[in-house]
Amino acid sequence: MKRNKHHLAALVPFLIIVVLFEILPLVMVVLRSFMPETGIGLTMTHYVHIFTTRLYQQAVLISVLPIFLTALVILLTMYVVILYLPGLEKYIRILCTIPYAIQGVILAVSVLALYSNAPGILSNRTLLLTGTYCVAILPYMYQGVQSSLLSVNAPRLIEAAQMLGAGRLYAFFRVVVPNILTGVVISAMLSASIIFGDFVIANTLGGNYFETAQIYLYQTLFESGQRTSAVIMVLFLVTLIISLIAFSLKKKERRLE
Amino acid sequence: MSYIDFQNINKSFGQNHVLRQINLSVEKGQLATLLGPSGCGKSTLLRCLAGLEEVSSGFMHVDGEDITHRDPRDRNIGMVFQQYSLFPNMTVKENIAFGLKLKKLPADLIETKVSHVIDLVDLKGKVREYPHALSGGQQQCVALARSLVMEPKVLLLDEPLSALDAKLRKSLQAEIKKIHIDTGITMIFVTHDQDEAMILSDVIHLFKDGQIEQSGSPTQLYTQPGTRYAAEFIGHYNVLDKKEFARMIGEGEPMEYGKLSAVFESAAKAGSSEMSVIVVRDNESVAIRPETIEILQEDSPAYRFAPAEDRYLLPAKVVDSTPHGNVLRYTLDVRGVRLHADILFRSFALYPEGHRLTLSVEKRNCLHL
Repeated sequence: MKRNKHHLAALVPFLIIVVLFEILPLVMVVLRSFMPETGIGLTMTHYVHIFTTRLYQQAVLISVLPIFLTALVILLTMYVVILYLPGLEKYIRILCTIPYAIQGVILAVSVLALYSNAPGILSNRTLLLTGTYCVAILPYMYQGVQSSLLSVNAPRLIEAAQMLGAGRLYAFFRVVVPNILTGVVISAMLSASIIFGDFVIANTLGGNYFETAQIYLYQTLFESGQRTSAVIMVLFLVTLIISLIAFSLKKKERRLE
Repeated sequence: MSYIDFQNINKSFGQNHVLRQINLSVEKGQLATLLGPSGCGKSTLLRCLAGLEEVSSGFMHVDGEDITHRDPRDRNIGMVFQQYSLFPNMTVKENIAFGLKLKKLPADLIETKVSHVIDLVDLKGKVREYPHALSGGQQQCVALARSLVMEPKVLLLDEPLSALDAKLRKSLQAEIKKIHIDTGITMIFVTHDQDEAMILSDVIHLFKDGQIEQSGSPTQLYTQPGTRYAAEFIGHYNVLDKKEFARMIGEGEPMEYGKLSAVFESAAKAGSSEMSVIVVRDNESVAIRPETIEILQEDSPAYRFAPAEDRYLLPAKVVDSTPHGNVLRYTLDVRGVRLHADILFRSFALYPEGHRLTLSVEKRNCLHL
């Protein structure tokens, strides 16, 4: 016991160094984000600027819309696959896993090459970006939804509900979906943080059409160091909040199991 | 027409013919058991009746109505699954009330019905719990209550006790029996456990490869198995083919039925007027229940009173013994044939390995299948 304590005591200085190494840059970025351009005093100007520009709304819209669309498509697909075409499940898995292997730039360039000259709404850049994000987050959404469905034994729950007088669709959305909601939300959170952190796809497809958070961050690098720090802090806090929510939901899910 | 009638039911999954020409009847208020090993089609038949699988051909009637192609929710049949299938996000009460709410019954009526079944399965004090907080047995009771509250015409139980430990299984067997008596509901129970089938059933339908091998009361199936398969599945029988049986009783090798005329011819040529042969038909077997084999002792009543012509006296050597609760199961070697004998676990009936003893088997207990 005493020996163990000695070992731990010897580790303390190393731990302090590691913590300082991790925390110090963050503290410096926080301080810098509150500094005015003059370098004297503290100010909220940079944060006010971020939340009063269109960037905020655009980033939220571009991040949230693909998640909703993908979650809906995956849920409906899984409903059909589970109940009517269980043999297709392995093909759906392969299909949904393919985007893992495709790098963002290849995906974006391919989409651009295919649709840039397409007629009407098909070449709309917002739509292209939303659709590409749907493809990019497909593996994460699929894995989350599929493993949640497996853990609740969805086919058997639907059968149990049917025996009590429910229709299949009602049973799926009333019984199965509430039980996999935590898994769906966690996948959505993960997807949101991926989209929030993306620069390559947004820059290739969006370019000058609109600014997402990452593009805005890239542009501010050349304008103001203090504002860049503020953008980094916002992105960091959003990702942290998402991670904490996902973590607490996962804990709740484990408790329910 | 019986209360439940299966007529010429066939079911295939692709090339796999799971049910073959099933004709089966269940009377109102009966607890019928479909018994058989895994993959024999018993659960498939249950799922066909529930409407969870479509039959390939044939008809099913419940209470005089053809339900063959009806939607599961319109059949008024309840089902309890092996893995409980409770809704994890709902409390015990919400689980039980789920079907009643779908029927849009008034709230006070739902309350009354739910309370009634909760009393029936003895789940008072657990109504606000979620399924994950309940034991396996309690979860299965909720599943049972959830089906019973719908007052179905038939309650189907698909291996509901398989996931439970032995002690809990016994207590729930008694619970199911009690519920069956209290409610008088017609039940079809699926199991691969012959002891469970014996305890619960009014009638047992033994399945083999998608067909019914034998139907009857538990006593009938146990004492009069119709085939070698039934004897082996139901009662731990010693099943011997005729050659083994003849060797065991010391009457030499039996003759194949087809070779009999050749034997007669050669006997006639040799001028023999008397001959003794044991004749066997193809696939004939003899089944002997282990508990009907007696180990004889000096003062054994069987040794004194059983007439010699009604029994076989067999020399045996103890090969092995295994305790099964209050019974000691001996593996014995009788003239090179292995037999199992069940003897009550008593100190004077303990014999070491290699011990030589004499067995008594009454002829009427040797069932020719």
